[in-house]
Amino acid sequence: MRLLLVEDDRLLADGLSGQLEKAGFSVDTTYTAREALILGEQEDYRVAVLDLGLPDGNGLDVLRKWRMNRVSCPVLILTARGDWQDKVNGLKAGADDYLAKPFQTEELIARLNAIVRRSEGRVHSTVKAGRFELDENRQSLKLDDGPEHTLTGTEFRLLRCLMSRPGHVFSKEQLMEQLYNLNESPSDNVIEAYIRRLRKLVGTDTISTRRGQGYLFNDGV
Amino acid sequence: MTVFRKPASVKGALLALLLPAGIGLMALAWLVHGLLLDRMAREFVESRLQDEVAFLEHQIRDSDGKLDTLQTGDYFQDVFHHAFAIYSPSRTIISPESWEPLLMPLVETGRDGTLRVHGSGTADAPSDILAYRQSFRVGDTPIVVIVSEDLGALKRSQAELHAWTAIVSVLLILLLVAVIWFGITLSMRPVATLKGALKRLQDGEISRIDVQAPEEFRPLVQQLNQLLDSLDQRLERSRDALANLSHSVKTPIAAVRQILEDESRPLDNDLRHQMAVRLDDIDKQLESEMRRSQFAGPQVGKSAYPLKQARDLLWMLGRLYPDKSFELSTSLPEESRWPVEEHDLNEILGNLLDNAGKWSTKCVELTLKQDDGVIEVVVTDDGPGVEESEMVNLGQRGLRLDQQMPGHGLGLAIVEDIVTRYSGKTRFSAGPNGGLQIVVRL
Repeated sequence: MRLLLVEDDRLLADGLSGQLEKAGFSVDTTYTAREALILGEQEDYRVAVLDLGLPDGNGLDVLRKWRMNRVSCPVLILTARGDWQDKVNGLKAGADDYLAKPFQTEELIARLNAIVRRSEGRVHSTVKAGRFELDENRQSLKLDDGPEHTLTGTEFRLLRCLMSRPGHVFSKEQLMEQLYNLNESPSDNVIEAYIRRLRKLVGTDTISTRRGQGYLFNDGV
Repeated sequence: MTVFRKPASVKGALLALLLPAGIGLMALAWLVHGLLLDRMAREFVESRLQDEVAFLEHQIRDSDGKLDTLQTGDYFQDVFHHAFAIYSPSRTIISPESWEPLLMPLVETGRDGTLRVHGSGTADAPSDILAYRQSFRVGDTPIVVIVSEDLGALKRSQAELHAWTAIVSVLLILLLVAVIWFGITLSMRPVATLKGALKRLQDGEISRIDVQAPEEFRPLVQQLNQLLDSLDQRLERSRDALANLSHSVKTPIAAVRQILEDESRPLDNDLRHQMAVRLDDIDKQLESEMRRSQFAGPQVGKSAYPLKQARDLLWMLGRLYPDKSFELSTSLPEESRWPVEEHDLNEILGNLLDNAGKWSTKCVELTLKQDDGVIEVVVTDDGPGVEESEMVNLGQRGLRLDQQMPGHGLGLAIVEDIVTRYSGKTRFSAGPNGGLQIVVRL
């Protein structure tokens, strides 16, 4: 299993690459962002470990460029700052997991195996309807060239259901099946609240209400 | 180029506003005074002329129109300060005689009432006169009486009066400036003491501002003192923290160095393990001090958008635990703000959700509420839950109820720390599906 290790601290990089080799990965190591960019695009790695603080650039920028150029291998980022905002930013940039330094090598290997397993059989799958594109892997919604909106679980499932058949009327009961809720008896109001939230993202006219029947997604708007 | 530069000081601003206004108003008063003076003098002269004409008419009627019998000479000189002309077909009297070229045309005009003549050009006669003409008949004799006044002389005295008014006005303006200056200086004196206090504060002579500030500045002084208090506290805290940190970090460093420097001792597995333990200690100390120093606590002027942060974290954890669903339930408006520092809120939400995500089987629900200024964060999971007897131990630093799960055992302890900083409360209870429910109230 080919692995790209991007880490500028040579002592750490050398030690890590040795242990990763022992764990069954075949490791390419680079110390700079520039080289990481080229290697990531040229070679076909199964997984990558990316340090965020590199001497010639930010690891997040490398990651964004990879993702822009359709480099889809799972990426685990290493960061010295265990800040939640940093983690959010890392995942938004396209990472699959993060690990704060210092870490135990066993944990790194376990996480790497997990993201590799998760990405197995994963294809770049999206649901398109009109101007909207739903990314199933990233659970996010993209508007033509607009910004990417992140969705919570139920928001994503509802939108996927509606967008899978644009123009088809889904009853509230059908939509209710998409709902995960710890409450035993979810009410109609819950669906209405979710629809309100989704309309804020896609526009009021894109999801229309059929009184007494349910909701439908207008891909023409 | 700006013509008007905004004055930088209160004094300058007041002067810049009051001085031109004072001068303008004074000038206006002076002008109005001139106009009124002019009108009043004119009306007064006119009524005088009218009276004198009436007097002459009376005299002439008494003498049956015989002008010769009119007592002229001294009497007229005494009573009459004005030039006059009396005309009858038989005789014309004009006094003084040098006014004749001025008054004769008036006699001939045939129009009664107030008349005004400009610039006759005669040497002895004045150039600007006001005259009152009246024609009447005594028996069959038509008689015209004109009394006139030299306006030039009147204007000269008027101008003199007006000039005096101007001088008095200027003096009044100077007085006004002096009064304004004095008033401003007097009312700004507390500010000057405040300024002095700030200077002394900067120089380190005093540590707090204790001057008696005027009411308008009291909140400012109070805020400043509070700021100084919190700065002092923060400095003290960070000094203590650094001292503690350095103390607890230097010892393991010394131990590790000792091992590395001792070349005679082989680096066996036991020693490696010992060194790793020491380094772990350093990391733990650093981590906890870092977190402690990052909590801002309640602060003026800091707020966060809870919905945006919650959505980002829910989405992120949804990516990290792809087979679990992270749900948000709230009726807060999208743009609502909470008076919690952004990083602090992220730590609370992140740690609670991450903890719930670890334990849940399928679903984690985050509920955000706000009632009467009380903020409530509820995180519920559908995991195995916590035994009633263990609940009290939750949130203790370094305690991990299940040693199999990865983690520092810090998450809930961090939440407790921040919540305490905001004088809030954390409550642990069993969730509706047997999981754990954590309620944080701020």
